[in-house]
Amino acid sequence: MSAVGRFLDGLARRDIHAAMEPVADDVSLTVYPFAVRDEGTGALRAVLDDLLTTFPDLRVTTKRLIVTGDVVTAEIKLDGTQAADYAGAVNQAKHVDLDQAWRFAVGGDQITEVHVYWCRQQLLRRLGVKRFDQVAMV
Amino acid sequence: MSAATSEMVVREFFDRYRRHDVDGMTDLCSLTAEFSYVPFEIWAKQRVLRGDGKVRTVGKTIWHGLIASFPDLTTTVHTVVANDDGDVVAEVDIGGTQQLPWAFVTPARRRYDEPHLFIFRVGADGLIAQITAYWDNANVNRQLGHNEVD
Repeated sequence: MSAVGRFLDGLARRDIHAAMEPVADDVSLTVYPFAVRDEGTGALRAVLDDLLTTFPDLRVTTKRLIVTGDVVTAEIKLDGTQAADYAGAVNQAKHVDLDQAWRFAVGGDQITEVHVYWCRQQLLRRLGVKRFDQVAMV
Repeated sequence: MSAATSEMVVREFFDRYRRHDVDGMTDLCSLTAEFSYVPFEIWAKQRVLRGDGKVRTVGKTIWHGLIASFPDLTTTVHTVVANDDGDVVAEVDIGGTQQLPWAFVTPARRRYDEPHLFIFRVGADGLIAQITAYWDNANVNRQLGHNEVD
């Protein structure tokens, strides 16, 4: 299985250790909706930890995997039930489904770069948040 | 369809987008090209409008509306990657200064710039058969001074 396949398979099994196995130590990470720009496995692990802590029943469905040379783009759907505060939004045990695109750069069978695209407005709407400037109020 | 040809079609698409040539953009798409702007959701009282449908109906309408609301709308292409199956993935910044209402956002002459990921499928006929795009609409709204989620 490819590096991206192993990453997504680990995430789908909620196994962060397995998901991180094919990730390069100096991976570059950009999560656009959270304005996260960082390097290293710690940053990516923190994103996954946060996700799985918040949505312990998380389901990851890979809708399309596009291989273009050393770049692999995955269109995925995440769905789960909120069990902790997330992105500033208080926990109301809301069910969330969110379509996302993850663009991976791969080198030497390791993931070297991850760009994550999804819409925070869709997330906050599903979590019952009314205003971007008062995310903690629902 | 070679990767190079598919990439060329997509780069031409964004050149025409930059020139606000919506008819030209549409001409690069097949008659039945699929369109999906994933974050595009407008929650009205009794229904949700989504940015899903055909390029020649939903897509053209959104592009015309966006250009009318942001007359200096521009696109900056950062990366384009393609394969021989007609798949093309492009990272593109889109931005502009608001002059007219856009969805529920009233114009305050503010500017937005937002990274987008576009996924295209170019058919064997050299025309775009599918367009999908992802971005963070919360960040667009915040830049435009609109703080209501709906």
